[in-house]
Amino acid sequence: MPVQHDIPGPGDLRDDTTAGRVLIGSLMRAQLGLSLLCLMLALAVTVSFPLVAALVPAVGRTRVAGLPLTLIVLGFAFYPVFMAVGWFYHRQARQLEVRFTDLVDPPGRGGCDATGPHA
Amino acid sequence: MPDTAIGAIAFVTLLTIVVGARGIRVARTPDDFMVAARQVPPGINAAAISGEYLSAASFLGIAGLIVSQGLGSLWYSVGYTAGYLVLLLLVAAPLRRFGAYTIPDFAAGRLGSTSLRRVATTLVLVIGWFYLLPQMKGAGITLQWVLGTPYWIGVVVLGVVVSGNIAMGGMKGITFVQCFQYWLKLCAIGIPALVLLVATGHEGARNLQPGRAPVFTRATVVQVPQTVEFTLSRPARVTVSGLVDQRSYRDQAVPLCACRHVAAAGTSLGFAAGAPAPTSVAMAAPGGVSWDSPFSTAGTDGAHPLASTYGVIIATFFGAIGLPHILVRFYTNPDGEAARRTTLIVVLLLSTFYLFPTVLAVLTRLHAPQLYMVGDSDDVILALPSLLLPGLPGQLLAALVAAGAFAAFLSTSSGLLVSVSGALSHDFLRGGVTSFRWCAIAAGAVATIASLLIGRFNLALLVGWAFAIAASSFCPLLVLGIWWRQLTKAGAAAGIVVGGGACLAAIVATMAGAATHGWSAVLLGQPALWSVPLAFGVMIVTSLFTQATVPGNVGQVMLRMHQPEALSRHDYRPLTVERGRRSPGR
Repeated sequence: MPVQHDIPGPGDLRDDTTAGRVLIGSLMRAQLGLSLLCLMLALAVTVSFPLVAALVPAVGRTRVAGLPLTLIVLGFAFYPVFMAVGWFYHRQARQLEVRFTDLVDPPGRGGCDATGPHA
Repeated sequence: MPDTAIGAIAFVTLLTIVVGARGIRVARTPDDFMVAARQVPPGINAAAISGEYLSAASFLGIAGLIVSQGLGSLWYSVGYTAGYLVLLLLVAAPLRRFGAYTIPDFAAGRLGSTSLRRVATTLVLVIGWFYLLPQMKGAGITLQWVLGTPYWIGVVVLGVVVSGNIAMGGMKGITFVQCFQYWLKLCAIGIPALVLLVATGHEGARNLQPGRAPVFTRATVVQVPQTVEFTLSRPARVTVSGLVDQRSYRDQAVPLCACRHVAAAGTSLGFAAGAPAPTSVAMAAPGGVSWDSPFSTAGTDGAHPLASTYGVIIATFFGAIGLPHILVRFYTNPDGEAARRTTLIVVLLLSTFYLFPTVLAVLTRLHAPQLYMVGDSDDVILALPSLLLPGLPGQLLAALVAAGAFAAFLSTSSGLLVSVSGALSHDFLRGGVTSFRWCAIAAGAVATIASLLIGRFNLALLVGWAFAIAASSFCPLLVLGIWWRQLTKAGAAAGIVVGGGACLAAIVATMAGAATHGWSAVLLGQPALWSVPLAFGVMIVTSLFTQATVPGNVGQVMLRMHQPEALSRHDYRPLTVERGRRSPGR
């Protein structure tokens, strides 16, 4: 027998009710949006470098402090960008989950998990 | 040099066996063998993942490719790192929450089909073996370089050590081994890179001039161990002792033209300071692309550099997701949040490691242009230390590099062999510990024999191809399986077979020498360019035509993958969540 509340809660998720599906669907959309945003960010930074070098050949021959720009960009500069994007994503994804937990199972409501992260 | 290097390699191998043996007492059930009982904290786990991931390609292949083909080959190290970022963004947490052990487990659990499971298992074997071959080649050339043994001896040594170790210890042991291997590899490449950077001066900076062929910065005698074909970028007077172009000389100054020459084994060539460095056929870059251009031309003739660069980017960025030996490690995280943290640490560890092959490659270009004469680009890193640093320090660094390289082959092939034999024993035989052990030995034997056949391809290129197959098959399966409710088993199977099959066919055609120039070389040599979109397309379209077969439990499965543990811990997952691990709030 599916559990029905006036306010959707963890039971709706567990029993796959309409409200539960809407809830988890909203979380998935938010998570996917965040992931794609971060993916686009990382791709834009990396993919644009060879494109620019193909359009403006001088870029590929540029030198910075005696070193080829290619060496600086491909050898060193992309890694901090990856870390920054990964860090941003990790924080935001965790926050989305904390907010979702609070929404579905508010700490004060005495739901199935009273020891949630904000208890 | 041989004595120190033999000692170092033997030490690494013994240590691997001893550390692995610690696991034997713990590993009792198939579950322990497969995923180390899910008790591994993120820092250890991240180092283990990186240790398993950094293979012969990263340790020897990339630097050799940079030296021979140019800085554009750095796209391989960028891509191998970015692969983990993409994995973090798209699959890390949901896949951990799903709780399956292997990709075939995921396919079967998500879409409820045993026939799809068989398809996935077959592809695990294809990718696993394809990836094992370069590891074996690396062991073969390393021992060949260090000891002068024939190529096959190194291959057989690695095969025996790895299959024996896995058959005895399973993966609990391997987790400790892999973690230790990461730090060993980082030291084995980082210390030589830093020492050599400090020990060498600036006088070679001329060799970084744009579009310029490398020249000797001081008078240098090049010894030719094996008969080699080489070219000179401009005419030069060379002091020859031995046989060049089938003429014998004894310490004579010979004018050589800017064309192709053959030097016989045992010949020595003396070059004055400022003379052009001779380049062997194996180290020659495709014409028309300068060494400092940002395009990757490996595996093609350099005709369409932008397209071939994008091929490498697509294969490496999206290939890490689909590697069978990597995903199994995510199940050793306690929960989805820990899986994300682990992956982020992996990106950091990989970024750190990949700084050093770059440094070594640039040092080779600057100070050791005689290495353009080696017969195999994968030898460059092994040869560099004793050339730049004469005497005992150079020998010690060379031994360290050889040991690190051996560690790289050991760790990656262990991980691959666990996946391959796990898949074999679980899906094609009855499963269980005994069957797993026999499969480990059989799979190791097959890989050992097969790798005696792939001599001439650069390691990074071979591994890049394994990534391309993974990106065109398992990547769409996992990404769509996690984020798209409408995926069906028919769609998944069609995408895997068409995408993975087409990609494999293109690579086999390239290896057989079917296309060597123009667009056909780019499209067959870097197949990810079209096979990854093809796989996604086939998977989506076929699924849309077979919507009647969307599994009935898709809602529950999606919930399981995406619901935070805080909500689900009292429902149906009692065993894995550890209290106190989750960071409180934001």
